[in-house]
Amino acid sequence: MAGKDDLDPMRMMREWFVKSEQMYSEAMTEVMGDERFSKTTGRYMQETLHMQKMFGEAMGQYLANLNLPSRAEVVEIKERVTSIEATLDSILVEMRALRAQSASGTSAAPKKNPVRTKKAPVKDA
Amino acid sequence: MSANAEHVEGDISQKAIDARVTEVIKKAIQRNIPGLASLPETEAQLEVGTSDKELIYSQDTARLYHYTPLVDEIYRVPILLVMSPLARGYIMDLAKGQSLVEYFLKAGHDVYMIDWAAPQKKHKDLSLSSYACDMLGDCIDKVVADSGEPDVSLVGYCMGGLLSVCYQATHPDSPVKNLACFTTPVNGDGMVLYKKWLTSKSFDMDRLVDELGVIPTEIINMSMQALRPLHKNANQLKLLNNVDNDEFVKAHLRFERWAVDQLPFPGALAKEFMIDFVRDNKLIKKELELNGTIVDLSNITVPFLHVAASFDHIVPEASSKDLIGMVGSEDKKEIIVRGGHVSLVAGGNAIYRLWPQLDQWISERAD
Repeated sequence: MAGKDDLDPMRMMREWFVKSEQMYSEAMTEVMGDERFSKTTGRYMQETLHMQKMFGEAMGQYLANLNLPSRAEVVEIKERVTSIEATLDSILVEMRALRAQSASGTSAAPKKNPVRTKKAPVKDA
Repeated sequence: MSANAEHVEGDISQKAIDARVTEVIKKAIQRNIPGLASLPETEAQLEVGTSDKELIYSQDTARLYHYTPLVDEIYRVPILLVMSPLARGYIMDLAKGQSLVEYFLKAGHDVYMIDWAAPQKKHKDLSLSSYACDMLGDCIDKVVADSGEPDVSLVGYCMGGLLSVCYQATHPDSPVKNLACFTTPVNGDGMVLYKKWLTSKSFDMDRLVDELGVIPTEIINMSMQALRPLHKNANQLKLLNNVDNDEFVKAHLRFERWAVDQLPFPGALAKEFMIDFVRDNKLIKKELELNGTIVDLSNITVPFLHVAASFDHIVPEASSKDLIGMVGSEDKKEIIVRGGHVSLVAGGNAIYRLWPQLDQWISERAD
């Protein structure tokens, strides 16, 4: 592999791109800020939403006929798994609180906590 | 029978050849491109967010973690890191030696973090008030109860900073003793591209939210990429130029993983952020309301620090520079670091220049 100091035209081209990327990105962003672009994007977004709804329903029916789950059903399963994770998180929190309560009520040696006495180092004059 | 045996024999020899070829290619790559030798094969091998932590509170999308202290003597006031509701918290704990959390723990701080979970459909109505007042407020109370200390240092990143200033401005008597914000937007006019899109009559934010409920990460990624469309390509070329550098390759992959690992935006919060905050610029005009209270940043009087990045394209200088002037604190400071939105919290400049300054600023106010 060519070293960094070698005259590698591909490396030089990549370095040129990295250096000039910001300029080109700014030019592209400028174009995207144009009202015509906003209009096109807005229209595209609305059409996409409409199409997504239309095709989603039709495709859902088609997949149901094939005995396959639709995206909406997969997302629903994901939501249910996430809900179970959230419930587990709550149980973990409750368990932690119970553990702390039972530790304070028994003669078992308490967990050694760090002391809160640290002071900021004094700055040199 | 013998034909079968030949077939099996043929299969085995083909497999052996495949395995040998794979091994030779791997060795050749490792010999010639050292960076690829340690390339993780799965995302799990990237190891992010490795500091030891415990979940202590969970409500809606809020997850409050307490990191296990690493030293025997710590500062009295705990630190609560507040992540952006759009980003995963592991950017603050990217890897050993590249973790703000680890740095704070080693410096003797007691560290907590609010790391938001991905909102589900049932969370579509969570608003700015839900995040900034209800959930953040509850987490602060939990930190106070868990640490046994009456006050807290709040450190917010990006939109987490926005939540923090909104909370403190509407709860000036809160347990917050110090407030530090990283690259926090306050001026919607400074987010030029989003403002142009939102003021266009063709862009119907209400419909987008009503149809989707929760804005998916793909839309968020696309809108963020629009702010600097070729940045990702440039980063990939940078990777190619540094592929013989193990550490660069690993750090790059971690950053890349985090950059695309965004969280969805609850519809109500997205609407408030895009319409009230960006389009109508209500925070600057002192018209933004949370739970019926106007957010006036001059109500913030606790010691305040704002850290901004000079090349931040996500929260550009124009959208964050007014913050320091709007805050009412007498003890306030702004640090501008050379770098971008992400490298600000985990890049080389952050590790060697920013973190020591941040630690010093908090330490001096943490006893």
